[in-house]
Amino acid sequence: MLQPKRTTYRKAHKGRIHGQAKGGYELNFGEYGLKALEPERVTARQIEAARRALTRYMKRQGRVWIRIFPDLPVTGKPAEVRMGSGKGSVDFWAARVHPGRIMFEIDGVPPDVAEEALRLGAMKLPIKCRFVRRTDW
Amino acid sequence: MSDVVVLVAEARPGVGKGAARQTRREGYVPAVIYGAKKEPVTIRLQGNALLKTLHKGGFFTTIFEIQVGGDSHHAIPKAIQKDKLNGLPTHVDFLRVERGALIEVEVPVHFENHEASPGLKAGGSLNVARHVVELRVPNNAIPDSLTVDLTGLEIGDTVHISKVALPQGASTVIDRDFTVASIAPPAEAEAGDAEGEAEA
Repeated sequence: MLQPKRTTYRKAHKGRIHGQAKGGYELNFGEYGLKALEPERVTARQIEAARRALTRYMKRQGRVWIRIFPDLPVTGKPAEVRMGSGKGSVDFWAARVHPGRIMFEIDGVPPDVAEEALRLGAMKLPIKCRFVRRTDW
Repeated sequence: MSDVVVLVAEARPGVGKGAARQTRREGYVPAVIYGAKKEPVTIRLQGNALLKTLHKGGFFTTIFEIQVGGDSHHAIPKAIQKDKLNGLPTHVDFLRVERGALIEVEVPVHFENHEASPGLKAGGSLNVARHVVELRVPNNAIPDSLTVDLTGLEIGDTVHISKVALPQGASTVIDRDFTVASIAPPAEAEAGDAEGEAEA
């Protein structure tokens, strides 16, 4: 699963996801992509599950680019622990995804395979997504 | 493409965020025509008509005769701002052009003869480094696209811009022999390892 090799600080504030994506909202690498339509944290497990779903459907043809990285450490306290005593330990890593963000791009497969692969990938994610393709305007 | 296409527009009374939003609410797309050392003209285009023109293709390589009221401007689209969620155009920039002048245009790159490439047949994938190439061309000879022939390319081969046939009088804006595409080896080993490890 994706996770930073080292970080400046061990734990982060919760934060909020405001507004739309400032960058990464256009296809830059592949012919097809999956665009987020809602703001949400996407965990490293979800990213890995989506990657696996789409590479399996593509039968390992073509290429996949993952355009989000889980760099936010999310902490949690153990079960049945009283409040206080400081912040919990890091539970999982997540990416803050803004609406409009291209999360996955793929190339080297026919359009119908790309659409189905990304649909299967989107089912592993906690947000509404849209299939997008490069337009030759 | 050097044919001139007529685009009917209306003058846009206001400028700025509020006026632009009002224009969009009325079903128009705000646009501006600038360049050639003349004052910029703010216009608005019918949203549906603009979409139809966009879907015909070759928008950025077409010179438009934009008719605004009684005036007409020869201009080429320079940029489109799009909505981040639905991808619909929210603003268009047009650059005025004078007949025969050199202009810089982004020309799409198309690839052909995929089946004649041994590298792609062997499972390699086409790694496109540049989907568009910026060319400096006379404005009456703008190509629709550049075509790259993939015949005979093996895994690891690279297509540089020097191997791509450019139209007469055209040169690239970037002054070096940059990579347009390459044939990448299949990512089978990497993906297989990752899955095997996770499933074990």
